[in-house]
Amino acid sequence: MNMGIDLTVNGDHLTSTSDPVTPLVDVLREEFHLTGAKPVCREGFCGACMVLIDGDPTPSCLVPAALANGCDIRTVEGLAANGGLNPIQAALEACDAVQCGMCFPGMVVSLTHLVSTRPDATREDIRAALTGNICRCTGYERIIEAALLALATA
Amino acid sequence: MSDASATMNFARRDAADKLRGRTRYTIDRYLPGMLHAAILRAGVPSGRIARLDLTKAARMPGVRAIVTAADAPGMIGIGIADHPLFARDVIRYDGEPIAAIAADTPMQAQAALAAIDVEIERLPVVLTMAEALAPGAPLVHPDWRNYEVLLEGGARGGNVAWEATVVRGDVDAAFARPDVEIIESCFRVGRQNHVAFEPRAVVASYEDGRFHIETSTQVPWTIRNATARLLGVPASRVRVTVPPVGGGFGLKFDLAIEPFAALLARASGRPVRLVNSREEEMLTCLFRENADIRIRSAVTRDGEIIGREAVVLMDCGAYGGEQIFLTTMTAHTLGGNYSLGAVRLVSRAIYTNTAPNGAFRACNGVYNTFALERHTDEIATRIGMDPLAFRRRNVLGDGDLGATGQVFEGDVLGPMLDRMDTMRNAAAAPPARADGRLYGRATTVGTWFVFVGPSAATVNMNADGTATLVTSGVEIGSGSMMQALPQIVAGTLGLSPDDVIVRSADTDAAGYDVGVGGGRTTVSLGAASLSAAQEVRTKLLKVASEMIEAAPEDLVMRSGRIEIAGAPGSGRLISEVATRAQAQMGPISGTGAFTGAGVSAMPGCVAGHFIDAIDIPVFAVHDCEVAVDTETGQVEVLSYRVVQDVGRALNPRAIRGQIQGGVVQGLGYALHEEVTIGSNGRVCQNGLETYRLPLALDVVPVEINLYEGAPSIGPLGTKGAGEVPILNVAAAVGCAIANATGKAVQELPLTPPRVLELLLDQRPTLCLPHIAETWTENLVRPHGAGGSN
Repeated sequence: MNMGIDLTVNGDHLTSTSDPVTPLVDVLREEFHLTGAKPVCREGFCGACMVLIDGDPTPSCLVPAALANGCDIRTVEGLAANGGLNPIQAALEACDAVQCGMCFPGMVVSLTHLVSTRPDATREDIRAALTGNICRCTGYERIIEAALLALATA
Repeated sequence: MSDASATMNFARRDAADKLRGRTRYTIDRYLPGMLHAAILRAGVPSGRIARLDLTKAARMPGVRAIVTAADAPGMIGIGIADHPLFARDVIRYDGEPIAAIAADTPMQAQAALAAIDVEIERLPVVLTMAEALAPGAPLVHPDWRNYEVLLEGGARGGNVAWEATVVRGDVDAAFARPDVEIIESCFRVGRQNHVAFEPRAVVASYEDGRFHIETSTQVPWTIRNATARLLGVPASRVRVTVPPVGGGFGLKFDLAIEPFAALLARASGRPVRLVNSREEEMLTCLFRENADIRIRSAVTRDGEIIGREAVVLMDCGAYGGEQIFLTTMTAHTLGGNYSLGAVRLVSRAIYTNTAPNGAFRACNGVYNTFALERHTDEIATRIGMDPLAFRRRNVLGDGDLGATGQVFEGDVLGPMLDRMDTMRNAAAAPPARADGRLYGRATTVGTWFVFVGPSAATVNMNADGTATLVTSGVEIGSGSMMQALPQIVAGTLGLSPDDVIVRSADTDAAGYDVGVGGGRTTVSLGAASLSAAQEVRTKLLKVASEMIEAAPEDLVMRSGRIEIAGAPGSGRLISEVATRAQAQMGPISGTGAFTGAGVSAMPGCVAGHFIDAIDIPVFAVHDCEVAVDTETGQVEVLSYRVVQDVGRALNPRAIRGQIQGGVVQGLGYALHEEVTIGSNGRVCQNGLETYRLPLALDVVPVEINLYEGAPSIGPLGTKGAGEVPILNVAAAVGCAIANATGKAVQELPLTPPRVLELLLDQRPTLCLPHIAETWTENLVRPHGAGGSN
C-alpha cells in the first residue's frame, strides 16, 4: 500500500506516488518534471544531481524518496527569485564558464551553499569544496574564478 | 566584405538556462505516450548464438515491441561495411546488442530483458593485438573478404581490419648511412573513456511513414544515413533533430543507439526513449583506442633527421569504425612536427574481441604526439643535443615537406617556440624546494589538422532586422554554434550577434554536413555561413542603394544600419531595407556551401589513406613542469603553458576556455584515466568509482598564448581551436616525468603505481614482439602493390 511521499520542492507541497526506494532524482525528474538535476553517474561521485535537502547539498541519486519524506528540497530550478540568476549563477555566466552545461545544475547547488555559508572561502577552499562535483568540459578554472567573483560581490 | 569586426568576447546565449536547469537535453525530453527501451547485451566476448527465444519476454507486462537482427538487414562502417546493428549469429564483444525491447516503464523493459531466453556457445577469443596477430589466431571476422568495400585502397587480411602506408624516399639507404645514429623507441598506451556527462540518448517516433530521431549526437547526417542503411530504408525516410548536447568529445561522432529506438518506434507505433546507463557508457563507449608503437630514426650527430620508420598498431575492437579512417592520421602526426628525410610509416587497425573504439578529441594524434615527442627526447639525449635546440632545428617551416610530400606553408612552429620561451622566461622561477620530490619540465610540439569536408548554410533575412542562420551544426558545449557562427554572420551584415538566430540542427531543414568535430565547426560551417551571409549582404545593398541613392560599393553595414561610408547616421535601418526588399521582391535569403580545397601530396607516397594531405594544419607548443613523489609515484603538475596556432581568434575568451578544458582532459589521459580489460573480455572500469577523472584539486590554471596569423583557408583566417588543446598534453607530461626521474617513460597513463615501478626499476622494458623487426614484414601487402585487399 503506497501512502505517498510528502515533499516540499522549491516551496511547493507535492506528493509522490513513487515506490519508496525510487531515487529522489528520478522522482524529481520523471514525476515532477524538474529535469535540472542530472543522473550522470548514479553513484554519488559526479555531483550533477546535487540538490539542497533541508539546506544541505546532497546527491539526489543516493537518496531513496521515502527518506526525503517531509523534507524541504530545493533544486537548481528554485535557487533564484523571479526567474533571475542568483549571485553564483550570475558570476558563472559573467565568467563564460559554461560549456556543455550538464554538470552545472550540481555545481550551482554546491556553490550556492558555499557562497551562503562560507563568505571567507579562499581559492583552496573552493577547490576542495568542488571535490564532489566533476566537470568534464571546463577544466574547473573558470568555475573557481566565478566562485571567487560571487564571494567578492556578495 | 565586412565593415564590422567579427572578433569579440561574445557571451554564449545558452548559459543562463543551463545554469538554471532549464535546458532540455535529449535525456530530459518527454513525448506523450512515450515508451522506454532497453537493450539485451552479450555477456561474453566471443560466441555463437545457439538459441534466441523471445516468446516469454513478449508476454511480460507492459512490453510493446521487441526487435532483433532480423529487423536490421544492413551493415555500416568506414572504409568497409563490417558492422551490423545487432549481433547476428556471432557475438564479437562483451556488450554487443542482441535484442531491444520497448515497454511502458523502464522497470518493465528491464524485467522483459531478463525473460529473453538466449543461449550462447563460446567461441575462441582474441583480447589483445598480440593475440590477434599471432600465427593461427582465431579471426574476429572470418568472412572479412565478403564485406562491402566502401573505399578502395586499404590493405586488409585476417585480423588486420585496415592498413595504411606511407613511403617517401629511400629509407633503407638513410638507415645504412655511416654517419647516423639509429634510435629506436617503443610505446604502449591505454584506452580513454570520454565520459560525456550526457550519455548516448535518443527519442524516436515514426510518423507518416518516416522516422523522427531526436538524439544526442555530433553528426545528424551520419545518423540519418547510417540508420537508413542499417534498417534498409531510403535515407529520405529519416529525419534527425538535435537538442542541446551534454558533451561529445568525439563519442557522439558515430552512430550509437539511434536505430534501436527507431525500430521500436516503428514496431510499437509509439514514441520510444532509449538512454544508455552509465555502466553501458563505461563498457561500450567508443574509446580512444589503445595502441602499440615502434619508431626508429636515423639522425646525424648534428641533428638532421635523415630517415624515420614506424609501425603503429591501433586496436579497433570488434568492428573497424573510426580507427579505419584514423590509420590515415599517423602520417600527419608521426610525420608532422619535424622535417624528415626519407620516411615510411605503417598504421594498422587490428580487430580484437573487445568493445569497438572510436573518435576522441584529437584521436590518435594524442598518443602519436606522446610517442613522437618522447622519441625526440631520446634522439636528443643520444646525440647529446639540447632537446629544445633539436626541436628548433627541425620543426616544420615554410616549404618543408610532410610525410606524404605535402608542402607546408609559413613558418609557424619556430615563432611559436619563441613565444613559449618568452612566456617561460617571464614566469617567476619556481621556489627551490627540498621536499624530496623529483622535479622536471618539458616543452613539446604537436601537429594536427582541421577535418574540413562539406557544410551547408542558409541565412534568412527577417524584416525585423534579425537574421536566421540555418545549418546542421550542433551545440555540443564548445560554444561554436553560440559564439563563432553568429559572430561571423553578424559581422558580415553589420548586426549584433544577438540578432542572429541560430536554428538547431534538423536534417529536414538544412543541407548536408559532416558533423561537429575535428575542429571543423567554425571553419566549415563558418565558411558556409559566411558565404550565405555575403549573398544576403549583396542583395540588401542593392535594395539600399536605390533607397539611399548611393552606389552599393559606397555603402557599409554596421550597427544595424546601411549607411554611406564615412557618414555615420546616414542611410537606413537594416530592418527598413529588409522590409522594403520583402515587399518588392520577396524575403531575402542567401545560401552557402563549403568543402576542403584538397591539398596535393606526392604521387605514389600513400596507400590506404582517406586524405592524402591536410588542408589546414594546426600546431601547438606545450610546456609543463611536474613534481614526482618518490615514495608514492604521485605526479603533481606545477605549471602548464600553451601556445596554440588558432589562425585568427574570433572569440579569444571562448578559445581560452577550450584550452583550459582540453588540457585538463589531457592531464586525465596522461595521469589518471585507465581502462583495463579483464580476462573475460569486459572493461573493468564500470563507473566513476573505478575510472578516475580529473577533479578541481588536480588541476592548475593554464597560461595561454593564442598565436594568430598562420595561413588558413578557414573563414576570416580561422582554424579550429577546440580539438587541439588536448593534443600534446600526454607528450608534455610524459617528457617532463622522464626528465624528472631519468627513466624511460614508454607507457600511458602514468598512474602512481606505474610511476613507482619506473622509479624502482621494477617496470620491465616494453617489448613488442608482435611488431616485426623488419618494417616490410609488418605489411599485409607491399606498399604500392595496389588492389583492394
